[in-house]
Amino acid sequence: MFEQQLFNGLTLGLIYALIAVGYTMVYGVIELINFAHGEVYMFGAFLCVTIINSLGVPLFPAMVLAMGLCALMGVSIDHIAYKPLRKAPRLAALITAIGVSIFLQNIAMIIWGSRPVPFTRSAVPAAFSEQAFALGSVSVSGLQLFIYLFTTAMMIGLTLIINKTKVGTAMRALAQNATAAALMGINVNRVIAFTFALGSSLGAAAGILVAMYYNTMSATMGYNAGVKAFAAAVLGGIGSVPGAMLGGVVLGVAETLGAGYVSSQYRDGLGYAVMIAVILLRPSGLLGKSVGQKA
Amino acid sequence: MNFKRGLVMALAMAAFLAVGNLAMAADVIKIAVPSPFTGSAAGYGDNVKAGVSMKVDEINAKGGVNGMKVEAVYFDEQCDPKEAATVGTKIAGDKDLVAIVGHLCSGAHLAALPNYVRTGVAALSPTATNVTISDKGKDSKGLYWSFRNVYLDDFQGVFLADYMSKVLGLKKVAVFYENNDYGIGLKDAFLKQAKAIGLTIVGEEAYMKGATDFTPQLTKLKGAAPDALFISGYYSEAALISDQAKKLGMNVPKFGADGMDNADYIKLGGPAADNTYLTTPFLAETAGPDAKAFIDAYKAKFKRDVDWMSANAYDAAGMILEAVSKVGADRAKIREYLASINTKEKAYKGITGLTYFNEKGDCVKPAYVKMVKNGQFVPAEKQMTN
Amino acid sequence: MTGQSTALKLLGLCALLAFPLMPFSSEYVLHVAVLIMVYAVLAMGLNVLPGFCDLLDLGYVGFYGIGAYTAGILSLNYDMSFWVVVPLAAALGALCGVLRGAPTLRLSGDYFAIVTFGFTELVVLFLTNEIWLTRGPLGMPGIPPIDINLSWLGIDWRYDFMSETPYYYLGLLMVAFVYVVMCRIEDSRLGRAWLSIKEDPLAAASCGINLMAYKSVAFAFSAAVGALAGCFMARWSMFLAPDVFKFWESFLVLCMIVLGGLGNINGAIVGSVVLIALGEVLRVVLPHFGLPTETRFLAYGLLMILIMRFKPGGIFPAIAATSKKSRLIMDLKARLQAERAG
Repeated sequence: MFEQQLFNGLTLGLIYALIAVGYTMVYGVIELINFAHGEVYMFGAFLCVTIINSLGVPLFPAMVLAMGLCALMGVSIDHIAYKPLRKAPRLAALITAIGVSIFLQNIAMIIWGSRPVPFTRSAVPAAFSEQAFALGSVSVSGLQLFIYLFTTAMMIGLTLIINKTKVGTAMRALAQNATAAALMGINVNRVIAFTFALGSSLGAAAGILVAMYYNTMSATMGYNAGVKAFAAAVLGGIGSVPGAMLGGVVLGVAETLGAGYVSSQYRDGLGYAVMIAVILLRPSGLLGKSVGQKA
Repeated sequence: MNFKRGLVMALAMAAFLAVGNLAMAADVIKIAVPSPFTGSAAGYGDNVKAGVSMKVDEINAKGGVNGMKVEAVYFDEQCDPKEAATVGTKIAGDKDLVAIVGHLCSGAHLAALPNYVRTGVAALSPTATNVTISDKGKDSKGLYWSFRNVYLDDFQGVFLADYMSKVLGLKKVAVFYENNDYGIGLKDAFLKQAKAIGLTIVGEEAYMKGATDFTPQLTKLKGAAPDALFISGYYSEAALISDQAKKLGMNVPKFGADGMDNADYIKLGGPAADNTYLTTPFLAETAGPDAKAFIDAYKAKFKRDVDWMSANAYDAAGMILEAVSKVGADRAKIREYLASINTKEKAYKGITGLTYFNEKGDCVKPAYVKMVKNGQFVPAEKQMTN
Repeated sequence: MTGQSTALKLLGLCALLAFPLMPFSSEYVLHVAVLIMVYAVLAMGLNVLPGFCDLLDLGYVGFYGIGAYTAGILSLNYDMSFWVVVPLAAALGALCGVLRGAPTLRLSGDYFAIVTFGFTELVVLFLTNEIWLTRGPLGMPGIPPIDINLSWLGIDWRYDFMSETPYYYLGLLMVAFVYVVMCRIEDSRLGRAWLSIKEDPLAAASCGINLMAYKSVAFAFSAAVGALAGCFMARWSMFLAPDVFKFWESFLVLCMIVLGGLGNINGAIVGSVVLIALGEVLRVVLPHFGLPTETRFLAYGLLMILIMRFKPGGIFPAIAATSKKSRLIMDLKARLQAERAG
């Protein structure tokens, strides 16, 4: 039973990790907590299902399409709401981020209603709901296996982009020192837009996977997932991409084990408690650089 | 500057007063129907609205009550206690509203009730099943202002335990409950009766409203190898629980109460919803001839099958309007009339059977069992004979 | 500052005092008026952190909840009088405020925002799950109304608040009290210290201002005001449920002070009047368009984005000036504003 909980926790953790990297990358380049990221994740799920239902597109192309649309959405959010405030006090940008998040959530409520919606059952391959393999007492479904493979592939891809490509190098330069990066001829706004696009499409993918896994989605789903993924990012060290991945997995497993063995009522509290404890004891997180007082 | 500020304030105030005091003509009888019409419980609110509107239309078609037309005024409280408290003062303060059919949710009913008790207006809830309400309807003179024509949670819990053990012969049950007033009240009554009749409880787990991942608790419950799973909660979470239980290979019958009785349970749960048993206060198939006419008219008007909330709301509106026709549009007299319906002989004969109140405004109603079979609600083959 | 404006103020005060006696006022209108006062106190209390100290507080209703539940539990289980409960609740609120802020004292403001966010969620989870204490999601019905009982003076006289009118006057008193305290603090040594920390923490520290001590005072003070509002609310609505204290409420209060202008005490009051009145209007209007009532938050969200973008001083920047007495501070603020714009 313990092993089964561990595998279920891993599924959840990988999804958190996928959302958490979006937070951490944006924080890395513009030092802003993008509260609207959870809403992008929610839009990913809804857009995917809408594309499947109204256009009759099969699951995988619909997923890619939804991820693309969300990338566009992330870039637009930055362009419309955050970009004009780059030089304003940080509080202004933070409040704007909250405003954007609330705005998007209510838009979704108007479009898709406030009641939970099931994922289109007929679009999900039959193999997903069957057992893929069993290890002793542990049974892993096709969908879980898909989630393991898909998220791992995404993370490897992301790591390659950040470390091996020109734009990835630019992102890292921006995180180090934005002014110096600009002086070296980096087009700062383009790199920021790319970061938003990348983070948002990963967030959307996470939303789709969650909606499929639990067979439900709602306009308010982004709130909880967003907070937990953020906690994961803090746990791993905000600004650190490998940290966010590790933080997500640790939090997902801890949450599942906590719900199974300690208290299911306080399960959502675990994320916050971890977050506060990390800030109190080790603000740099598991893999982050040390943070000092910032004016 | 002061002028500008004053202007803004005055405009805000004026807009708000205009909305608050929309005066209306007085030769209609108005009843208030506070329920959730938006938000996550809106589906239930629609049912209540449908039931009340059927009754009101029917009475108006016959010429109204004492020659006056009847009008139902709907108030949206989103099943939210805070909203309900505000809506409650609005209703209590509007003397044209003679009585109330509502609230739908127990929490909202409890929050709004102090207003009704304070100003003296009777509230008849067709759906609030929580046990606590019984003691909160009393004013300083010892009069009860809260009534309901639905059974209480403790009754449903006892009934389900009896049904599982005596009718279906199940031995080991796992309990999964929502951590709120409804889930806990129902679960506690169930556990008590289970203990009394020797039904073994092999596991007991809680979940939070709005949760989506139930696998940790289900994995644990599955380890105890139960014969049945009792879900004490509402349909949207219950559908996910059934779905995830099936994915974990837990193929046992599921049991639930009125909170799971919604078509969305089947829609969200899909094939996993099959083999679920539910208690219900009203079963179209076992209803009398009066009810048949209602069921047909309902289907013709709303293009859907009648549910128990609509039926109960129809009867609740009927009781209030009967009171008005007997004693006139007087708040205190309507309460007195409702309170006087206190024996089986004096009971109101509606489509959901006989309704009469005890001294706290609660009532005893029969319960039925229905189940999900091939994606449809059907009456369970075996009913419990009381 | 002429006689004319004093006369206007007096007139406004008379209007407020006479309001419940007007023919158009009803229990419902008074209920909403009292609701506005509760939010006005919350908005003024929240304003201390983002407005005076530049720290974004996303979990302010946590203190509102702590105050309300303290009042509920003490009144219901120990039959304590409202007047005894208020200082106890405010003290507990202040304590929680300091505890909440402590982990972030040495870190940047972003971390404070995150911790406050988690804090309310934990408060709500606690209120939901500790059923033995709070009755959990069942809510807490039957909290007694406020009463004035003079038996301790040997006088056999007792008055129970049985309608909205006495709450209206008490609420007015509460708003006036908090308002006066806020205005005094803003112009005091404490207020000036906060302003200097907000504008330049490094310079403030170099001038001998103990950042941690002054920030802690701000945490405690802000939280105590929130708990006060909660106390009043508990004994007024006579029903509590954990759902009342969710994140949405924090957002609503934040929206009020953003609307009124961060750091603007008058603005906080105006913001609460406008948003609560707007909410009541939208409650009636939105269903006509087939929209759920919650979608009013759409308007609030949009409002916040637009204000931050185009009017960061709030929609009524002018009224901020009316409460100020210290010319020195006013000049300084004007200069800082000009510097930022330029």
